[in-house]
Amino acid sequence: MTREQVMTVVVKHLAEAVDGLDPANIDASRSMKDLGANSLDIVEVVSSSMRELKIKIPRSELAKLTNLDGLVDLLFRTVQESQAQAKAP
Amino acid sequence: MSTPLCVFEPGPHEGVGVVRMQDAAGKNAMTERFVHEFVAAFRAAEAWAPLRVLVLQGLPDMFSTGAHVGMLRDLVGGRVAPSDILLPKVVFDCPVPVVAAMEGHAIGGGLALGLCADMVVIARESRYGATFMNMGFTPGMGMTRLLTHVLSPALAHELLFTGELKRGSFFDGKSGFNAILPRAEVLPAALDLAARVADKPRVSLEMLKRTLSLPRRQAFEHTHTIESLMHRVSFASPEVLARIEDVHAE
Repeated sequence: MTREQVMTVVVKHLAEAVDGLDPANIDASRSMKDLGANSLDIVEVVSSSMRELKIKIPRSELAKLTNLDGLVDLLFRTVQESQAQAKAP
Repeated sequence: MSTPLCVFEPGPHEGVGVVRMQDAAGKNAMTERFVHEFVAAFRAAEAWAPLRVLVLQGLPDMFSTGAHVGMLRDLVGGRVAPSDILLPKVVFDCPVPVVAAMEGHAIGGGLALGLCADMVVIARESRYGATFMNMGFTPGMGMTRLLTHVLSPALAHELLFTGELKRGSFFDGKSGFNAILPRAEVLPAALDLAARVADKPRVSLEMLKRTLSLPRRQAFEHTHTIESLMHRVSFASPEVLARIEDVHAE
């Protein structure tokens, strides 16, 4: 899975969570709050993304993030680690 | 003297009182102090002679987050009995109809509390859910039955099993909420609904309230017994405390 695919998953769930948000015009350098998500929208976006990507990240790690790019980086890194573990003998 | 967490005040319409939960710092989470002040606010409302309908209001962005994490830790540790269980009874036992104006998010026991009201107005952009199972333990505060007051059993089961927080707009066309409105319109609509009820004779309102709430009051007693037994089992799981801490991590 590529970083772009992870971004697509996150953007899909963000667009579902925030009324009127156009997935084509999301600036990933901004925070989800800046993009119109409230605190519980953010929880649902992250939970749904992790569920779809079949990974789990402690909330203490997620709480350090400041923007969408940071979230996608963390999710992508965790997906890679998960895939590497699955391939390990 | 600190700001009260819950207050009663006469509303803008004749016969309409308002109990407002206003602990912004604590997000209206249920602590022992919160429970005590909630009960006191209802007692003050009931002592107000003109009362015919009571509106239960939270904060604009947060109705209630349910049990405070400290209370959950104590429950898991067996150090306290759940005092928040008093709250549904306070709403059920209020002699006049209660309208819940749920402008803000309502989570777990916070949603249960709102669903104890006789009529419920929610906001399109706020989120509502029964998050108990996300923390690994079975639902409490009567939630296993209260949700079916406003949702079909199948949809109620979906919320109970998944623990998902749904936007108010999700319930459009598939719920029995009295209204699902933009957040800014929730309180005015709840007050208007209350005013349309408040012109009826108090004695008749009291009798109708007791009659209409009877099945839910009976169900609550039954459910509370079962839920308490489930809690004894699920709180004993070593996974539960770790999940509670993870869900409440900043």
